[in-house]
Amino acid sequence: MKVKRVLVLFLAILTILSLTACKSKETDTSADQSGNSNNTAETSSDGEKIVLRMAWWGSQARHDKTIEVIEMYEKQHSNIDIEYEFYDSDGYFTKLNTLVASDKVWDMFQLGGNFPVYLSKIVPLDDYIASGVIDTSNTTDTFLKTTQYEGKQIGISNGVNTYGVAYDPAMFKEAGVAEPDQNWTWDDYAKACNTIHEKLKIYGSSKFDDFVAGCSCGISQSDINLNFYALTNDGLGFDDYSLLTDYIQMRADLTESGAYPDPGAISEIKDIEGDYLVTGEAAMTWVASNQFIALSQAAGRELKLATIPRKTSDGPAGAAIQSSQMFCVSKDCEYPEEAAEFLNFFWTDEEANKILAGERGMSIFSNVTEVQVPDLSSEEVAANDFVNLVGSFEVGEINPVSPEPYQAIEDYYDLIIQKVIYGEFTAEDGAKGFYEFAKSQFE
Amino acid sequence: MKGNVKSAARKFIYRESTVGYVFALPFIIGFLGFTLIPIVSSLYYSFTDYNLIQKESWIGANNYMRLLHDERFWKSLKVTLRYVLLSVPSKLCFALFVAMILTRTTKLTGFYRSLFYVPSLIGGSIAVALVWKELFSRKGLINQILGIVDIKAVSWFGDQKMALIPLILMTVWQFGSSMIIFAAGLKQIPGTYYEAAKIDGANRFRAFLHITLPGLSPVILYNLIMQTISAFMSFTQAFVITQGGPNDATNFYALYVYDNAFEYYDMGYASAMSWVMLAIMSLITLVIFKSSKHWVFSEAGN
Amino acid sequence: MNSKTRKVLNRYIYHVLILITGFIMVYPVLWMISGSLKNNTEILNDSLNLIPPHLRWDNFARGWKGFGGTSFRTFFANSFIIAGISTAATVLSSACIAYSFSRLKYLGRKLLFTLMIMTLLLPGQVLLIPQYVLYNSLGLVPSIIPLILPHFLGQAFFIYQMMQFMAGIPRELDEAAFVDGCSKYGIFSYIILPLLKPAVITTIIIQFYWKWDDFQGPLVYLSKPQSYTVSIALKLFADSSSATDYGAMFAMSTLSLIPVFLIFLFFNQYLTEGISTSGLKG
Repeated sequence: MKVKRVLVLFLAILTILSLTACKSKETDTSADQSGNSNNTAETSSDGEKIVLRMAWWGSQARHDKTIEVIEMYEKQHSNIDIEYEFYDSDGYFTKLNTLVASDKVWDMFQLGGNFPVYLSKIVPLDDYIASGVIDTSNTTDTFLKTTQYEGKQIGISNGVNTYGVAYDPAMFKEAGVAEPDQNWTWDDYAKACNTIHEKLKIYGSSKFDDFVAGCSCGISQSDINLNFYALTNDGLGFDDYSLLTDYIQMRADLTESGAYPDPGAISEIKDIEGDYLVTGEAAMTWVASNQFIALSQAAGRELKLATIPRKTSDGPAGAAIQSSQMFCVSKDCEYPEEAAEFLNFFWTDEEANKILAGERGMSIFSNVTEVQVPDLSSEEVAANDFVNLVGSFEVGEINPVSPEPYQAIEDYYDLIIQKVIYGEFTAEDGAKGFYEFAKSQFE
Repeated sequence: MKGNVKSAARKFIYRESTVGYVFALPFIIGFLGFTLIPIVSSLYYSFTDYNLIQKESWIGANNYMRLLHDERFWKSLKVTLRYVLLSVPSKLCFALFVAMILTRTTKLTGFYRSLFYVPSLIGGSIAVALVWKELFSRKGLINQILGIVDIKAVSWFGDQKMALIPLILMTVWQFGSSMIIFAAGLKQIPGTYYEAAKIDGANRFRAFLHITLPGLSPVILYNLIMQTISAFMSFTQAFVITQGGPNDATNFYALYVYDNAFEYYDMGYASAMSWVMLAIMSLITLVIFKSSKHWVFSEAGN
Repeated sequence: MNSKTRKVLNRYIYHVLILITGFIMVYPVLWMISGSLKNNTEILNDSLNLIPPHLRWDNFARGWKGFGGTSFRTFFANSFIIAGISTAATVLSSACIAYSFSRLKYLGRKLLFTLMIMTLLLPGQVLLIPQYVLYNSLGLVPSIIPLILPHFLGQAFFIYQMMQFMAGIPRELDEAAFVDGCSKYGIFSYIILPLLKPAVITTIIIQFYWKWDDFQGPLVYLSKPQSYTVSIALKLFADSSSATDYGAMFAMSTLSLIPVFLIFLFFNQYLTEGISTSGLKG
């Protein structure tokens, strides 16, 4: 008897709760409807509203800003209704994969360097650029190229960035180490790490993005005409695995000497605020140019940006400007032209970009960066200058793309470095094993 | 005539097998309608090259052959087995122990049980991941305590041999659901048994051995099977705390499946791995079930 | 006299030991709650300090605001609906199926049981996509139906649990009822279900929490921010590509504990009460 009573009570509570919840929702939507009804009245003559679905991942600030721009656009275009979804980055890709499997990808969706995987789901924008729906007059080919694949404009970058090394000039001075210049080398870097470690009893350097440093930049630094991935994206762009050995050896040596955090210490870095440069336990760290702002704010002391060290001081820089992410139009979209029109607004409208404030990286449109200038902080100026500096370096033909098996390859590279650190392999064997693994991923 | 039909229908409705099918109906519908197709699809995918985006293509047993040469796969299997063997028994013993202690009659029992259950309510949330990393960090609370008793600080997440320990402790720490199932099982044992034992002069230990353990054995079997299965499937702990590192020392099987499916876009391979896991676990569950005939005592008899 | 003081002493030791262990057990939770009243720097740099230096209640206000105009009020309501319906459905369907599997004899029973255990042995990661495709082809996406429907069709974990509890109910009771003219249907309602109370209660507690905590399901089957659950919203705080507002995240994590904890408190009393007469005596 008692069980029944408990159950009944439980169910009753739940029903009440769900009822009230539904009610509150209903009032919400009815409020929405009444709010929208004015618009509908206006547009009823042009027929039905066009609904576009849009999704992205990111931070709370990004959600708020993007939604504000969407609402601004909807106000100006009463026949367009944009439904949006936003997630954290892991959740975003899980969701995207389920949508791909059922041919229901959002009309406009955000993608990063892994876009080649989703090529078959994307409508290239070339036609819309040719017809003028998307206005590219305020940008350059170099910038447009960051989101092209086999000659097609897959999307347009929401912002570009590049990688660099952030450092604390005061710590360098204290340890008696010269500040890095544009042509500093990995040897200089390693020496600086060791000296700082000995003098100040801290790490010389915090966590680096090993794959970018050792592979994508590393290969291009060896020879300006080489890329880690072949330009055709169907294999590797080099055939001498020994080009990889030096970086792996250096990483293992620096870890061994304590000038670089061991795998345990690295795993303790939770986010920008936990970075050892921010906490004062290291004098340098790897940084994407658009994160330099957040990094400086978190550190609360003066930081500077240096270029990625080179293999030889007169050799190529190997660094490239890349798109931090872009918006694409999906093949499942019923109104690609309207989607392109909205995206054009999103990318190039000055008022909209005053709201967006370069949160996704430095805009590739000069009219947009111009209007943003007055509101920039000194760190933002430094970050943008840095992008322009790296953009001025001489480069060969750069492959900005990560082909499909990139994640497996990058994970394996991290694993190999750890194995060398734990003494399971020599750096040479590690480089060889990694090269063979990476190659096998394309077979 | 009519009465005959009616009584035949009645007979049919009340026949034991009819009642059985009626009560099993939800499961049958669910299995045929919503479970079978996904299971069969995953079996099919395991014989294909499928990256989630393009249409899959049949490649026969290739994925299974690849497993044989995949060192990361073998390591993940080894790591997972070690984790299961270490975490399941400790979790169950702890859960049973606490459940037993908290059957003592005091007004505070409910409060105590809540205290011990709370950790199980925060699951794999980011907050827990953070605190766990914090506790075991190089300068964390655990190392500070070790420092007091003069043990050198351990790099928990940097030492391949140690990295599994924080994850095991986290599993044991979240023992709440096993505990309340044990508690419910204890409640089901008729009090008269204990009174009879008391009259016979049995002490508490003997009562535990001869009344509690046999009475609880179906529930013990249940917890053993379910915890073994869920330990094999463990994903969250490693995903939020170690991401499988260092050097794959905590790369749980399910985590490697996830990476292959969603990070490496290799759903075919991930499916093959899952079916190997199904085979391994079927074997283990079968062994536990077979052995249970010797130690599980059922009131319902058979 | 002597034995009496020893008894009292024993009792004190018992309580002190339990409290100490209990404190260790809840320490991480206390840490989270105290984090809900700290700012980022205090959380990350002063992590061992359980007492917040300043009580930053604004974390709650900031967190409650939610994301993109949808507040946590909506997220909580959504979670309640999904977890509540699923839990009630699980209890009913699983009890029926368990009765069928453990008490009734018919052709195919063993096969059904084996299939049920098998469904537990495949990792959810590989079933996610095929399941999604199936629900999508039935036109059920996006909606909460894929999230609750399976619970009306039994949950293996709880079916098996209830079966094990039924194994503890003497068969003589069924037989006696049968002799008295009770049908097999009646036996379920009048004998088995009432005696299954402990298992029903653990099911409610555990299932409600699992559904409340589930992230993957809502992520895949829901789409508009207005339909997000608490679990999705909590993940939104921690996008790996940007800085995290830990204070607000901890504040909302703390709030999200309350419903599951209340459910536990409410039902737990039915597990503790009465143990004095039937359980172990100290």
